Formats: sequence, structure tokens, C-alpha cells
Amino acid sequence: MLELTGLRKSYAGFAFGPADLAVDSEVLCVLGPSGSGKTTLLSLVAGILSPDAGRIALDGARLDGVPPERRRTGLVFQDGALFPHMTARENVAYAADDGDAVETLADLLEIRDALDRKPAALSGGERQRVALARTLAADPGALLLDEPLSSLDAPIRNRLRDELHDLFDSLDIPVVYVTHDQRTATALGDRIAILRDGTVEQVGSPEDVLDRPDSEFVARFTGTDNLFDATVTRRGEGGDSEDAVVRLRVGDLRLRAAASADSSVGDDVTACVRPSRVRLGSPGDARIGEADSGDGGNVLRGTVRRWLNEGDGYRVVVDLRDAPVPLTARATPHRFERAGIRDGAAVEAVVPPAAIHLIR
Amino acid sequence: MFPTPSRIDAAGRFDWLSATLLLGAVLLCYYLVPLLSLLVSQSPAAVLGRLSSPAVVSAATTSLLASTASAAVATVFGLPLAYWLARADGRPATLVTAVVVLPLVLPPVVSGMVLLTVVGPGTFLGDLGESVGVPLTRSLAGVVLAQTFVASPFVVVTAKSAFEGVDRSLEHASRSLGKSRLSTVRRVTLPLAWPGVVAGITLAFARSMGEFGATIMLAYYPRTMPVQIWVSFSTLGLENAFPVAVVLLGVAVATLVALNALGTNPLE
Repeated sequence: MLELTGLRKSYAGFAFGPADLAVDSEVLCVLGPSGSGKTTLLSLVAGILSPDAGRIALDGARLDGVPPERRRTGLVFQDGALFPHMTARENVAYAADDGDAVETLADLLEIRDALDRKPAALSGGERQRVALARTLAADPGALLLDEPLSSLDAPIRNRLRDELHDLFDSLDIPVVYVTHDQRTATALGDRIAILRDGTVEQVGSPEDVLDRPDSEFVARFTGTDNLFDATVTRRGEGGDSEDAVVRLRVGDLRLRAAASADSSVGDDVTACVRPSRVRLGSPGDARIGEADSGDGGNVLRGTVRRWLNEGDGYRVVVDLRDAPVPLTARATPHRFERAGIRDGAAVEAVVPPAAIHLIR
Repeated sequence: MFPTPSRIDAAGRFDWLSATLLLGAVLLCYYLVPLLSLLVSQSPAAVLGRLSSPAVVSAATTSLLASTASAAVATVFGLPLAYWLARADGRPATLVTAVVVLPLVLPPVVSGMVLLTVVGPGTFLGDLGESVGVPLTRSLAGVVLAQTFVASPFVVVTAKSAFEGVDRSLEHASRSLGKSRLSTVRRVTLPLAWPGVVAGITLAFARSMGEFGATIMLAYYPRTMPVQIWVSFSTLGLENAFPVAVVLLGVAVATLVALNALGTNPLE
């Protein structure tokens, strides 16, 4: 268990904390924009920086004040930070107590072919594998990773991400993985901590953070483009057994939403909808095939303002007829074709009540 | 792709890279022509004759011994300071750097004078040295003191920038892998900074070999090569000083070549 309590560090123009985090034998992905303090957090835990205040403990033993070499906090750097004058084998052996560890890790991370080359002759993916092997060779009590995939090409990044997922599963230690990429965070994290301007904005499971953001910042940063200013007009419609529904007004639009926040009538709230939860169709067609179309899925009408091909799907911005705000939707290629999307086309968007999350 | 200089040339435009070489060539000639002219003006027989003269042999021995000692002292005390300067931030580091550079900007004769106020006859240190049998002036120790004062900044300044060139994250990585600061410097920082460190030691050695101003103030005897050249010049004239200068040139060039060979092949 890695515990950070009231951790604080300030330097010129930046203040980190106070931060409280507890990481069990799990993967905590720390997600935040650049300059939010992600690397500062890792540096504090690894002992590269000393905190101004607060406490860091690993398995009950205090780490703050302990020199980096006695913390057993293995740190994997963004670029690997391999020693350029040593071969991959020497790099791993540098950290290992016995020679067998090098062989075992070389097999585990599939770097046997790379062992006798120097870092300059390794590919980006190999370099990160060697860096990971080297860190694991020191038998760390906690593993800290600073955006290790960010400098890799997409195919290698995706493959290594899958492998990291399996590797982390097999490690029985706290893993703190820093990234600015939401997909990496949701793919690898048992939990995600969102960092903003040096403070922890929200901690929770990937589903919590993505579907139930605590703040507009978290919503926007994790890809929820649709944030509407709304007013609660009714609550608990349909009796106590179904009071999980509220009614909202956005412009002239009336929406039904799951009552995720304890809101009361008259409250001004922010309604969040992830683009992937919006279903597009041509007029009259959007509800077809929807399980929730019968139980009051909100049907919104509008025209396509613009669309972007994102490779694995389309991002479509729709001007709504009844509200002065655009709605962003993500459509699969199949949906995109079926809805006949083109600039200016009339479309219908279905938003299930459960897909609307309220922030007070 | 971007056009290369030669392509610009082919297009008939002015080639600035050639212009820079042309300007630099003038400077190179200014370095080399006097050296060559010194070499061709001296008959090998004259040089060999001077080489076997006891005064020249003694001066060459003194110069080599003292310069080696000075370079060693500068390295032992200079490398740790260079490392500290490379890793420290803020005002103290700037001030310390200014102090290190001071001997470089002082005229060597003035360096000798300020040293005399500390280790000269009648001073506390001077008398202390005398009483324990290690005189600090008119001795090999005096030569080493003078050379170290003038030459050691080369080790500090050059090694500092070599240490600065070593990515700090490599040191952080090493320490997070369980290695102490000392072990990290020994196995990671120093090997990577090695060519720069050797360059600093080489410069300090070369500067020591040529040191005259401070040395003549502290130790007229035992004579180093530069002092011997000065004595030959002032007592027997320029013509008699030339062969000794050629000998000094030969010793200096040979040492630089040897040290450079060491520097280009660090720790392998």
C-alpha cells in the first residue's frame, strides 16, 4: 500500500497539493493535462523532489526523508532513461542482484534479441521494455511510470499497452501510471485520479470518472464534449419506485435524466453527455434497434453542422433545433452511413436518460 | 527535402559555409605559420644539441613532473567542485563559478604576486613549509602551486560543462534503482562525462607546461621550460632560445596527442 497524505510541494510558479492518495496492489492511473503536476507527484514519491509538507508511506514505512536509493520505488521514465554507455543487458544487470534476474526478465519482456545492443540501437518499444525490465530487476515495492508509451508510434503503443495490462496484473505491488492520454488511463487503470493544477480533482474507477465526473473539468478532460447548462424542473416522476428520473430544461428542450446527483427542483445544474452515448439516425430512424427507445429516450432534432472522420468512427456536431447549443455525437461507420450524415442534413439524436449525468 | 549548401551553390548563389571556412582559414594560418617557421628555422642538429644540454634536460624534467602533479591536484580537487557546480542551482553556484574563473582572468604575474602574499617567505604558510622541509617557493612545490592556481580552472570549467551534459534523469534512474549517489557518479555520470573531463585535464596540463608568469614569481628555481627559454633569451639572445622552444613545443604536442588518444576511447 502506497499512501500519500497531505503532500505538498511548491516551486516558482507552481504549487502541488495538498494531495491525498492511497494505492493498494492495483494500478492507479494519474491523468491530467501537461503542467498539472503528474511528474511532480512521481518525483515526490521517488525521492527526486522532497515535499514541503505531508507524508509518503510504502507498506507502512515512511518514505519522505529517505534517500531515493532506499525507497524501493521503481521509476520508469518517459524516454526510458537507459544508460547510453551500457548495453541493454548491462542496463538490466545494473539493477539486478543476481544474473538470473536478467534472464528471467529478458524472457518476460521479450527483449532477448535486444540484450547485446546499446540503447541508441534499440527501437522505441525495445527501449521501454528494457527500461521496464531494469526497473523490475531492482525488485521495487511500488512501480511508478511516467508516460512510458507517449513517445511510441500508435501500433507499438497499443501492443505494449496490452502487454503492460497483463504485466501489471501479475505484479502484486502498487502501480502509479502517469499519462495525459485518457484511453491509456481507462485501459490500464483499476482506478483513475484526475489531476488539475496540482490538486487531485477526482479519484474513482474508469467508469466513475468517465460516466460520472465530479466537475466540468473532469468531464471535458475525459472527453465529454456535451456540457449543457440546465435547470431541474421536476423530480421523482413516476412514483418513489422510479424516482431515479429528473426532468431538465435546456433552452426550449425538455430532457429526462437519471437523477445521479441529489438535485432538487429549480437547481441549476450542468448536464453531461458523452458523445459515444448519443445515437444518431435520420429523422424517424434513430430509435430503431434501441433497447431504451421505448422508455423515454430523449429524442433531439437538429441539423449536421460538421463531421470529422476519426479513423475508427465519426465525430458529428449537430445544431439542435430547440436549444442554442451544439450536440457532439460519435457514430460508428455503420451508423454514419445509415443516418445519411452530410453537412446540413436533418438528423435525430437519441440520448438515453441514463447517459445524462448531472453536475451541481 | 531541404536544399543542401552544395545545391544552393549549383543554383549560383553565394555559399556562406565556404565563406566561414575562408575566414577561419586566415586564423588557422596565423596559428600554424609561426609554429612551422619556428620548426624550419632551427636545424635538427641545434635542437638535438640543446636537448642534451643538462639545463634543458633538467628544465624539461621539472616541467613534466610539475605539470603532471598540477594536473593531478587540479583533478582531485577540481572534479568534485565541477560536479557540485553542475548539479547546484541558484546564486551560490553562480558566485562559486565566478571565483573559479578568477585565476583565468588575472594576469599570471599578478597571480604569482597574490600567491606570494600567502606562501611567500615570511608568511605563515611559507614559514610553516620551510620548517617542515617543504619550501613553498624556489622549489618544485612552488612550481606546482603556481601552475595549479593558473591551470586548475580549466579542469573545473570544462568538467562542469561535461557533467552538465549528462542528463539528470539518468542519475535519478540510477538512484531509484538502489544505487547511492557516489556509486551513481562513478558508474553513470563520470563514464558519460569522461571525454569532457579528459579534455579539461589536458587543457590544465597544457596550461601548466606553458606557465611562466606566476611560476617565475614563486619559483625561479628549479627552472621549468618556459623559465629556461626566458633565461636563454635574456642571457644569450633570441637565437639561443629557439631550440629550447622547439623542445617545449615537441613535449607539449606529444603530451596532447597521448592524452587525446586516452580521451577518445573512454573506459573501453
